[in-house]
Formats: sequence, structure tokens, C-alpha cells
Amino acid sequence: MADIKDTKVILQGLRKKIFLTGFKGGMAHLASCFSCLEILYTLYVDGVLRIDKENSKWRDRDRFILSKGHAGLALYAILNHIGLMSDAEYNSYLQPGGVIGGEPCRRDSQWIETATGSLGHGLSFAAGQAMALKLKKSKARVYVLLGDGEIQEGTVWEAAMSAVAMKLDNLVAIMDCNEIQKMDFIEKTIGEPRWRDKWESFGWHVEEVDGHNIVSLRDCLLENNEQGKPRLIIAHTIKGKGVPIMEQNPNWHFKLPKSKKEKMAFAQALDISEEEWEA
Amino acid sequence: MQSAYIGKLMEIAEHDATVMHLLADSGTGYDEMFRYNFPKQIYNFGISEENMVAAAAGMASVGFTPFVYTAGAFLAYRSLEFIRDDICFQNHNVKIVGMGSGLSWSSLGPTHHTTEDIAVLRSIPNLMIFSPATPKQVTACVQAAYEHKGPVYIRIGMNNEKEFFDENYTFIPGHNDVLQENGDISIFVTGSILEEAYVAVDYLSKEGYGVNLINVPCIKPLDSDNILAMARKSQKCFVIEEHNILGGLGSALAEIFSTYGLGTSLCRLGLKDVFAAGYGTHAAVRKANGLDGFSLYQRIKEEL
Repeated sequence: MADIKDTKVILQGLRKKIFLTGFKGGMAHLASCFSCLEILYTLYVDGVLRIDKENSKWRDRDRFILSKGHAGLALYAILNHIGLMSDAEYNSYLQPGGVIGGEPCRRDSQWIETATGSLGHGLSFAAGQAMALKLKKSKARVYVLLGDGEIQEGTVWEAAMSAVAMKLDNLVAIMDCNEIQKMDFIEKTIGEPRWRDKWESFGWHVEEVDGHNIVSLRDCLLENNEQGKPRLIIAHTIKGKGVPIMEQNPNWHFKLPKSKKEKMAFAQALDISEEEWEA
Repeated sequence: MQSAYIGKLMEIAEHDATVMHLLADSGTGYDEMFRYNFPKQIYNFGISEENMVAAAAGMASVGFTPFVYTAGAFLAYRSLEFIRDDICFQNHNVKIVGMGSGLSWSSLGPTHHTTEDIAVLRSIPNLMIFSPATPKQVTACVQAAYEHKGPVYIRIGMNNEKEFFDENYTFIPGHNDVLQENGDISIFVTGSILEEAYVAVDYLSKEGYGVNLINVPCIKPLDSDNILAMARKSQKCFVIEEHNILGGLGSALAEIFSTYGLGTSLCRLGLKDVFAAGYGTHAAVRKANGLDGFSLYQRIKEEL
């Protein structure tokens, strides 16, 4: 595992890269990308997911599904960072003739397990994969990242019931718990969510972790599930993490900086030079 | 048709352990028979159709061949986005089997009727659509769906449908069955309402009308060559379908006619953009909506 200081520099660099790519493309869910960046980093870079970089179709690979597909740019940035997506592909984000868009798409990269974007699909898909892998006696695990707003979708709860009934101890759901959805705070929208009570009452083993602490995340993600039980990791995160004007502010769900003041705030937070703005 | 379906699925499952029979609490005695024979190849998701559809896509991505099976209405409407995004967009090898096509769930009313499914699903890329008319055709369609590596929707009826095909019947996706070729009136029909079409044709024939009867078991891809050939030698064409006349087989024919500049008159006989009226047996609800053999005969005769 890399030195923590080095990792912070890498993550800062990834945030800058995601911002510049999104800004150039003219559209990105930056705040959502930034809230789950450490989670994605830990999964792909820090040795949680067992994948074969030479073979995307390896039968016993661990699966990862980004159910909150609007953070797709962060996932693409990570895939690019570890060499599973070329610079040309990554930099084509939303460009004419480009090959990647605002939501992850299996059509666009062999490393994407399933196309997401419409919320509330990923956990059911992941449960189907986990069930099939168990039937095939594979040791592979299935990780799925859900947004805490996404969990308002009814199918998430259908899948939550199924995963328990199917005893999917090879399934780990991670909730990017940034407490904000598109229009407002989660609590203002659906009341006090009491996630732990809800998921535990459905029969899941629930753990909580600081979603920006890669050491805790790694330990937690690598734990084995209790036998016969799916596991939910509530990762407490800050929406817009790394750019103070964006942090925990619902206005930034789907917004890019426009005014000079806003651009300055991004430039300062992400250490963006004038040349980089120009480019 | 249900027994034909399960019978065929058991035959396939016996040779292929990746075939999964998935239910959303939609099983009957036939499914218990399947469970008895193949306990590891059946799973009931409970009352959660969208969840089942998305999970089936996940299973297909790991190499299984799931057949999801419940009332057609709960698949075509309730689970539509999951069929579209999780199965069809990614071209997963999942078979979507909607039982109770058309008005078969007669007594339960429009919430259970499947009278807009073709309209809804025909517009989704990568999806083949089979609409068998008889139990033998169901068997053949299931085999063809299994052989096709990709998404297929099969709309099947309930039980006790009449059989019009013999042991030698073969089904090829994209091919119509010309059942009778006897004049310059062509009637195209799809699904189990074929039996009512036969009744109407009998009445017409007895009155001396020369009628061609064409069964369309594959809605997508459609047999446009056969449709054009039959239409070109006809004075007038009719479509009989247990479906809204908007977006169904009739609409598909109209697209072909206009694309190829055919001026042949086309009359669509189905539900006239309404939810079906009435309750009772399947035959009674067909009658209440002008879709029984005699009513169809009268409606055709009015147009001639």
C-alpha cells in the first residue's frame, strides 16, 4: 500500500483531472464523483477488487457495479489511472466522436459490468450476479455502490429482501452516504433515514466507515461477510469533497463553476494553473 | 400454452444446467413439476418483477440463461425500464415470458390484460418478439428463443387453446405461416386469437368470399417479404389482434405498406384504443369487445 501522503496527492490529482475533464465536456456530476472517489480508489487501486488486468472476462473476477451511475466520470478516471482505459478514450468524454459519456456504459468499456444511470437497478443486477457466482461455486465477490438518495427507489428494497433470502454472503453493498440528493438534503426529503435500522431489520450485516479514509475503507471492504449474509457498508462521505464551495451544498449536484469567483474557488482547491484553465 | 411452455422448458433444462426458470410468485402446479425435476434451476424472487428482471440480467452476465416468467402485464409495463436497460441495451441472453397474453386474464380486468405489450416492446432494440398461437407453436418458439443468444419476449396465452399445427410444424423467427391461400382478401393474425380468426374465415368462406389467412408468430423481426407478397395480391387486408390497434401488428403492417408505397386498404381489428370492457371467461370478454369469431366476421363483412 502506498504512503498515505502520496495517496492524498494522487487523489487530489484525480479530483483535478475529473474536474478538468468534466468542465471541458460541459457536463458532470462533480460533487457525486468527489464524494465516492476514495471508495472507488480503494476498490480498484488499493487491492480490494481481484481482477485480471489482462482479461476483463476472467470468470472469477470480483465484480463492481456503480449503481449511482452519475458518478461515472470518477470511475472512468480510476480506470484510466490504472491503465484499463486509454488517455484517448478518457479524454474523449463528451467530445464529438467521443466514446464515453455521463453514465457508465458496458458498450463503451469492457471494464464496466453493466450500464447504469437510471437509479435502483444496480443492487438487483448485483444480486443476480452474486447468486449466479455462488451457483458456479466461484469465490468471486460482488461489490455495488449505491447513492443514499438512490435508496428511495423501491427496487433497492426488493433487492435487499432477495439478497437476504438468497443468503448472498458474496455481496457487499456500499452506500455513498453524503446525505444530499439532487434537490435537497436527504433528511429534508424523506425524514430521518435511519439507514442502519432499516437495513439491519431487512437482515443485512451493517457496518459504518469514514468514506474518505482509505485505510479504514480498505480494511472494511476486505472483511469477509458473515456466513449467509449480505453486507452493507455505510460510507459516510462529504458531497463535493475537496472543493470547499461545493462541499455539502445541494446546489452543486449538477453544476459546473460559471462565475469568476466560482472558478477561482475551484482553481484554489484543486491547484489548477492558468494554462490548465486555458486548455 | 402454460403446460406446453413448462414442458418444453423442462426438456431444455434437462440438457442445459445454465437454464434457469425464474418466477415472481407467479408459479402454478406446472412450476412445481419443474421444481420437482430441477430444484436447482428454479427460483422464486417473490412479488418483485423488476428486481427479477434485473437480477436475470446479472445472472446472464455470469453465463446463465434465465427465463423470467410471470403475467405479461407485469413484465411489459411494470418492468419495462429493467427490460430495456438491464437486458436489451446490454443484449443479455434473457428470455422474457409473459403469460396471459391479450385478454386471457379475462375476469381480472384491464390491470391484468396484456393488450399494449407489442406496442411497448416492439420499439426496444435487440429484442425479438414471438407471439405463438397454439401450444405446439409455444413449444417451437421456446426452442427458437433458447437457440437465439440474446433477449426474446414470448407472449403466451393460458391453457386449453386449440391446436392448429401438426407434429411437423417448424418455427423460424421472421417467418409467417400461410394457413390458407384462397382469394384476394388477406387476414393477418397473431396470438391465440387465431382460433377466432378461423371462425370468422369459416363464415366468410361459406358466403363465398375468397380469404387468405396468415398467422404471424414472430412480431420482430417481422416477415415483411411475406406480408408484402400477400398484400400485393389482395384487394383488402385485415389484421386481427388481441391488442390495441395502436402500436400492434396492424401498425407494424401499416409501416411496411407505407414504406413500400402499397395502396392496399388495411383494416385493423383489435381494441380501438380502449381498455377492454367486461368480465367473465376469455370467450365472453372477447365477445364483449367484438373480438369473437362471429363479431370479427361481421366487422370484416362490413368493410367488404
